[in-house]
Amino acid sequence: MKTPDDSKLWLLERDLKQLAEPRVTDEVLRLAVRAELEKRLQPRRLRSRLRLRIAFGAAAVVAVAATALVALIGTGGSGGPSAADAAILDHALRAVTLPANMILHEKVVLVGAATPFMGEWWQETSPPYAGRWTKGQPGHLGEGSDNGTTSFSYDPSTNTISQQPDSAPPTFTDPLSQIRQELNDGRAHRVGTAVINGASLYKIDLPNGLVGYFDKTNYRPLYLDDPQRDGSVVRLKVVDLRYLPMTPANQQLLSIAAQHPSARLDTNPGGAPAGK
Amino acid sequence: MEVRALLAAPAPIARAADPDAELVAAARAEPRAFLGLYDRYFERVLGYARLRIRAAAVCEDVTSQVFTNALAQIGRFRGDGTFAAWLFGITRNAVRDVQRQPASEPLADQVAITPAPESGPAERFLECERSERLHAVIKLLQPEQQHLLALRYGAELGFDEIGAMVGAAPGTVRVRMHRILEELRRRYPHEDA
Repeated sequence: MKTPDDSKLWLLERDLKQLAEPRVTDEVLRLAVRAELEKRLQPRRLRSRLRLRIAFGAAAVVAVAATALVALIGTGGSGGPSAADAAILDHALRAVTLPANMILHEKVVLVGAATPFMGEWWQETSPPYAGRWTKGQPGHLGEGSDNGTTSFSYDPSTNTISQQPDSAPPTFTDPLSQIRQELNDGRAHRVGTAVINGASLYKIDLPNGLVGYFDKTNYRPLYLDDPQRDGSVVRLKVVDLRYLPMTPANQQLLSIAAQHPSARLDTNPGGAPAGK
Repeated sequence: MEVRALLAAPAPIARAADPDAELVAAARAEPRAFLGLYDRYFERVLGYARLRIRAAAVCEDVTSQVFTNALAQIGRFRGDGTFAAWLFGITRNAVRDVQRQPASEPLADQVAITPAPESGPAERFLECERSERLHAVIKLLQPEQQHLLALRYGAELGFDEIGAMVGAAPGTVRVRMHRILEELRRRYPHEDA
């Protein structure tokens, strides 16, 4: 039984964790800083155009990237999209609009970067938005989950699942959340088509450099490109994007315990203060 | 000072093997492997900054600066401690440098808090106000206390990991953290309690 003092400490800990909570724009920041580091790793002759951009700082780079994402949905010119483009954009919006009471499965990989990165998500499309995800470098993937009230992380080295109460109810955030949100604004503009790996795709070219590519048959996003000033491209590839029915078998995909049935459960990771 | 004594005390525990040793060795041989360390620590460094700095844009710049510096200096990392201890040492210095600069109040939209999208205006206001008050009382703590607090609640490190960084037993860190929380709580009475 918790004493009033314990309760106050718990509330304080909740607020502290909330200060540091991940934000939906963190992935944009992560990619932006990563791109800058990659440029610093390139031979000096390729870096000459980079200096000014670095001088602006990461926040400016992120602002540019975020603006570019917003511009993905922009009108792209003085007029609005043509009727044909508007229909395509409407289909694209439908493709990324979350159907209720399903499970979104999404897998993305970063290609064209020096170090590979991948992430995979399974998440309920309706509250409580329970989900599980793996992300990181191949061979060094981190894995976590949240059932709406409790978050879990898995440590493969000790085969241990650590659990902690949520500081706030989870929200729906996946790598395509930003695109989904901006497409929903209804200001996107299709600029053409492109062929990638033999497939003809709808292409949305952004004024600030980002380029989105969408499948012509089901209108789902397949690639998001971030062209670099040296001519290279950092590409986020959407390997899988599908909505799974809420069957008992699929619900197991949301549970970290179901994926690691032999794992030990640590309900007090790090030995949190027990109070008086 | 108790924290200084804690930091100065010889480690009462055997030094754990550095879980990042393999990646660090790879990065020293081939700098591109540093990106693996970046991916591993990005969220933790950003979380650390967010616990100690109120302005969102400054947190992002600090995070960028930390990894830029770490990349430049990885060749000097001797492995006397863990890579995490070294990296969060750089982070701590970057935060200190920012806090030494003349204070400028962040604009409301720069404050390092993002309320849930479904929050109403009143809830958002309360969350921002709560965040502001909490940052204010954190700044009243000793720098060493702020560092430990940010390692725990910003970088989400366990007591064992923090203990390995500061050369103390996990139990010692746990006790110290509890005292810091008690001190914070006295200055930050929670209306929900």
